[in-house]
Amino acid sequence: MTERAEPRLMGWSTSAAAAVLLWISRTVLALLASYPLLLAVRASMMTAGPEGDAVLFQPGALLLLELLRVGGPWLASATELSLLLLGLAAIFELIPLAVALDLLSAGDRPLLQRAASALRLFPRFLALGLITLLAQAALLLAASLLGAALKPMLASADERLQSLAPIALFSVGLLACGWFGGALDIARATLVRSNLARGGARAALAQAVDCLRQRPLRVLLGVYPSIAGSALAVLAATWFLARFVPTQATGRALALGFAAHQLAMLFAIVWRVRWLGTALELSAESD
Amino acid sequence: MLIGAVFSALSGWLLSALLLGAGTPKAPAPKAETNEPAWPALAESAPKVASYTIEAKLDSERHRITGHETIHFVNRSSAALSELWFHLYLNAFKNDKTLFLRSPFGAGRSGDKAKEYGYVDVKKLTMRGGDGRDLWATRDRHSPNDPDDETDLRVPLPSPLEPGAELTLELEFEDQLPELVERTGFVGSYHFVGQWFPKLSRLEPNGSFAHFSFHAQSEFYADFGDYDVTLDVPSTFRVGATGSRVREVRAQGRTQLGYHAENVHDFAWTAWDKFETRSERIAGTEVRVLYPPHQERNAEAELASVRFALPHFNARYGAYPYPTLTLVHPPEAAANSGGMEYPTLITTGGPWYSTFGGAHVIDVVTTHELGHQWFYGLLASNEHAEPYLDEGFNSYAEAEALEARYGAGSVFGGFGLSVSSSALNRLFSAARGGDEKVNQGAADFATFRSLGALVYSRTATVLGTLARVYGSERFNHALGVYTRKFRFQHPTTADFMSVMQNELDSRAVTALTLAFSERATVDYLVREISNAPISAAAGVFDGPSGREQRKPEAPHEAAEYTSRVVVYRHGTLQLPVEIELGFEDGTKQLRHWDGSGFTFNVDNVGPSRLVSVNVDPQQRILLDDDRSNNWLSTQASSAPHVREHALYAGQILLGAFGP
Repeated sequence: MTERAEPRLMGWSTSAAAAVLLWISRTVLALLASYPLLLAVRASMMTAGPEGDAVLFQPGALLLLELLRVGGPWLASATELSLLLLGLAAIFELIPLAVALDLLSAGDRPLLQRAASALRLFPRFLALGLITLLAQAALLLAASLLGAALKPMLASADERLQSLAPIALFSVGLLACGWFGGALDIARATLVRSNLARGGARAALAQAVDCLRQRPLRVLLGVYPSIAGSALAVLAATWFLARFVPTQATGRALALGFAAHQLAMLFAIVWRVRWLGTALELSAESD
Repeated sequence: MLIGAVFSALSGWLLSALLLGAGTPKAPAPKAETNEPAWPALAESAPKVASYTIEAKLDSERHRITGHETIHFVNRSSAALSELWFHLYLNAFKNDKTLFLRSPFGAGRSGDKAKEYGYVDVKKLTMRGGDGRDLWATRDRHSPNDPDDETDLRVPLPSPLEPGAELTLELEFEDQLPELVERTGFVGSYHFVGQWFPKLSRLEPNGSFAHFSFHAQSEFYADFGDYDVTLDVPSTFRVGATGSRVREVRAQGRTQLGYHAENVHDFAWTAWDKFETRSERIAGTEVRVLYPPHQERNAEAELASVRFALPHFNARYGAYPYPTLTLVHPPEAAANSGGMEYPTLITTGGPWYSTFGGAHVIDVVTTHELGHQWFYGLLASNEHAEPYLDEGFNSYAEAEALEARYGAGSVFGGFGLSVSSSALNRLFSAARGGDEKVNQGAADFATFRSLGALVYSRTATVLGTLARVYGSERFNHALGVYTRKFRFQHPTTADFMSVMQNELDSRAVTALTLAFSERATVDYLVREISNAPISAAAGVFDGPSGREQRKPEAPHEAAEYTSRVVVYRHGTLQLPVEIELGFEDGTKQLRHWDGSGFTFNVDNVGPSRLVSVNVDPQQRILLDDDRSNNWLSTQASSAPHVREHALYAGQILLGAFGP
């Protein structure tokens, strides 16, 4: 066994550094991915007036709907391109994620060394991600099929039950996906901790599955608050803006919107970093 | 309030002056002198032509209705009648070859095909006081020029019926209800029974019958009369029907319910053993809601809509004259019977979760169908020949009421976004004005989608534009005059235009005629902004003191600029429009163009360069085909709000689906 980085108590500074790193990378990648959409909006000429794009946010949405109508084909293409770019960004984001995990697990190391380590881990991170994605997709497909199969059986039941049963099934599928995601993070944590010393993705995944078997509750209590916290942050920002910020797109509304959205994003990322720390601990306990 | 009245009068006068250009402004309307608008007197009843007495028994297992019908008919036309025309609408669902069902693409609102077929069989038709001959035996066997359709049948009379003469007919009939295709039929034990009895076509004043085969895109047209209907149903069923319940007799597991309705032109009913009910007195009308189990929230939302819209429509279009109003919320499996209007009975619809979130689904459908009590019920226009007069005008009325209730978020309001009915109508209708005429028969539209966009949305958008151009108070008053003047009548386009001529002006009538009957469109646009500094003329000048050579002034910041922007009008609709000019120093000016001609030069001389132009900044011309060319600015926008929202959306997606 070569050098093995033991999980250490997360200090505020490393957690903050990991959170800031993830926030910066996510912001930059989201900006890049959304750029085609922005160009399409501008190309529609709907923002070429004296009030710029503020007109799109007027109450009643007359001009927002006009944008969808006159810019529909461009927007559809741009959305496709943006989604493709988001997919690529999601893959690229594995690198800052690996660096963040390294920050949380290893002692003082130069950033370049961490980045080099993250690059080495990238293929395994990617493989783990793909496997998990496939498993999650299969799970959701099964939930949807089960929901569809249930529909005729509920034909004579109450209307609420008819519509809620498939949703409930799908929600259970989503919860299970979250659980799978938790396992994926534990496997990633294992890879980062071992720094490629103990085999590849398969071994890491096996260890994560072991961890799920041995400590299912700890995984649940770690990963779900992270997901719920993120969702809560987004909902709180939406509520705050709907409640306190006028719908007219003014400079003040823009500043408040940006602040609320980025606070929500930071809050969600802090929750994620907290869970990543737990994943490192769980990984260490499963050795 | 006095200030409001004065402001209303002034704004009305100003708009009138603007619309007439340099012409003499119209004299202020009498309504400006008092707070109360001047309305025509309301008719209290309709001229009754066809009144029906029906006894009907429902076999809820076989979904059959056996009925006996008495028709009291008065020839109120100017000609002697030698024949009668009967609508047998239920035969539209008899087989796949009927006019209604034969389109291979699926026609009509739902586009659904029949699963179990339905029909109406007339067993016997006799004339009271006659020789007892069965007149039905002498009927035509199929609709005119259509051997596959039996929804529009002619019955010769044994002797002419002179103008003013009366006739009483007796019919025996049997309905087989279809599994719900559209509006009519059964799903399980739920029955919605509309267009179910043999019904006389509308008799026009010249003695012709306005008869037509039942087309999937078409609705109805009938004479006013009184209806006395007795429904015999299993006692476990709850029933909702046109009119007021006047008697109830229970015996041997069945209940006989008597309904009476005066001054109406149709009768529909529903029966289901699972209905829940709620009742409330609203604006003097007994309102009853029938709804599926566990849909109390929807029922409450429907009552809330009526609480707002009934007094609102009463004030706008004249008081609702009937003592009862029944709302039917069909179960989800029978959604195709939702969203339909009958005299004093409307069907709504929506899943049980409709009231959650920010969408006003229930309010939209309830307000729309309630509006039909005026635009269809009281103003019984020919829905087959001129469908925009009821569906289109009612879509405007619905949008106006919803915006009065909810403001800009009349269709959706939540999550920082609001969507108005006017915006949605414009979205559906924009750029379709050139496709087909709005004012044409329902069956003449190429598709139901086209009918929907033009009859519903474009008509509402045309009227909405007029309301914004003339001022909503003035326009709504004009519409209120129309609804009062033609109450309990069968108004046509000409009737509407005559009111608009009197209440607005000839330019309004021209615009409405072009928009409804000539596929007219309008698109205002600007292409460039020009600025030039004003400086002393240079060159060689011959003056009294001899030849003088003036050199061009050295480049410097000019004291004044001359600026120009050309506004173009595409299309044949001429509507007055405001043009907002923005200058480098932050000042703004508003210019007016009456819309005449195809171009309008907006010139300005001033100390600052023209940097932006915005045609129709108040968004009055909802009909403007393309709003993306209404403006220009020399200062490029970086779209910061879109950028911020796009960034956040990207971050959320990466967080949800990323690593």
